Amino acid sequence: MASTSDNSAVGMPQLDFSTFPNQIFWLAVFCVVLFAIVKFFIIPRMEDIFANRRKIIDGNIAKAEEIRLRVDEIEKKIEEELQNAKSQCDEIMKTSGLNIKEQMASALEDSKVATSQLISEAEGRLKELRDGSEIAIEKISEELASDIIKKITSEKQG
Amino acid sequence: MQKQSAFNIHPMDQFIIDPILTGESLEWYSFTNQALWMLISLACISFVFIYGSRKHQLVPGRLQSIAELMYFFIRDMIIDIAGQEGLRYFPYIFTLFILILFGNVLGLLPYSFTYTSHIAVTGFLALSVFITVTAIGFIKNGFGFLSLFWISSAPLALRPILLIIEVISYFVRPVSHSIRLAGNMMAGHAVIKVFAGFAGALGLGAIAPIFAITAVYGLEMLVVVIQAYVFTILTCVYLNDALHPGH
Repeated sequence: MASTSDNSAVGMPQLDFSTFPNQIFWLAVFCVVLFAIVKFFIIPRMEDIFANRRKIIDGNIAKAEEIRLRVDEIEKKIEEELQNAKSQCDEIMKTSGLNIKEQMASALEDSKVATSQLISEAEGRLKELRDGSEIAIEKISEELASDIIKKITSEKQG
Repeated sequence: MQKQSAFNIHPMDQFIIDPILTGESLEWYSFTNQALWMLISLACISFVFIYGSRKHQLVPGRLQSIAELMYFFIRDMIIDIAGQEGLRYFPYIFTLFILILFGNVLGLLPYSFTYTSHIAVTGFLALSVFITVTAIGFIKNGFGFLSLFWISSAPLALRPILLIIEVISYFVRPVSHSIRLAGNMMAGHAVIKVFAGFAGALGLGAIAPIFAITAVYGLEMLVVVIQAYVFTILTCVYLNDALHPGH
């Protein structure tokens, strides 16, 4: 016993070697029981909880991965559509540009033809006018000449 | 300390092994206050780890959180220090940890008995660790385990000297391992008891020692957990030496 008659410690009760067999016996019992509890109750339970959690987390991660793949696919599709639309737009722009050029060229041609026609018409009329005027001048000059001759002859006679 | 003083302070009385069932005589099988507190600790461990996590909750409640925290703390510690092979010894180390942790923490209750304050208990645990680890070292590595003492990274001339130092330090391990824990537990409790004795003797002036007790108690809360942690982490370090003696 570590205590004196009035139950007060003498020195350190820890160093009372007479209590050692008792302490070690109970500690050994305690250790064995505790180890059994740890081994057969605590560890299986904790590992079970942990495995469950792991499974759910892994499942969610797999699902997330799947969704990510799908999103990637959709993104790719969108990109493709965009590319398509772009090329179509380019095509339309190119063809419409060509059309405009063609139209402009044909319009130019038309206008050229029309102008040359107008010019030739005008030239024709000018020529006509000129011819007409030459005849008239001849006529007038003839009249004038006859008039002059008449005057002259009449004056001579007069 | 042991004499009846005017203050009537008996700080060491709390460590007396008392056969509570059989009266005065202490046989090796007598049920003592120490055994009682081991039983209470067992009940508390069962409560936290078995009752607390009975529902296997995915999102843990309070008790299950505590249990998981301790469990995975020790698990990660073993992996960090001794590697994956160390995980084989997890049940032993975890048993050791909760045995010491619950003993320390329950010992802080007033009128309780701290079984980890006894050198017989800590010495038994430390010796078990020492013997087990040494056995593992020899079984795993054969005589290669002795390379633990032959520091091949040191200059050749120094190696014999280091050999002596290493051998001595190896055999001192169980001593320091056990005395560190028991000494910390004993000192803290004795200090609290001394201040409590002052408080009892001072009457109205007891406010100062009570304040001191509060402070020391807070410190002890820290110490009990840290000492359990230190004991366990040192066990892991020794285990690592046994598993990988080369470095």
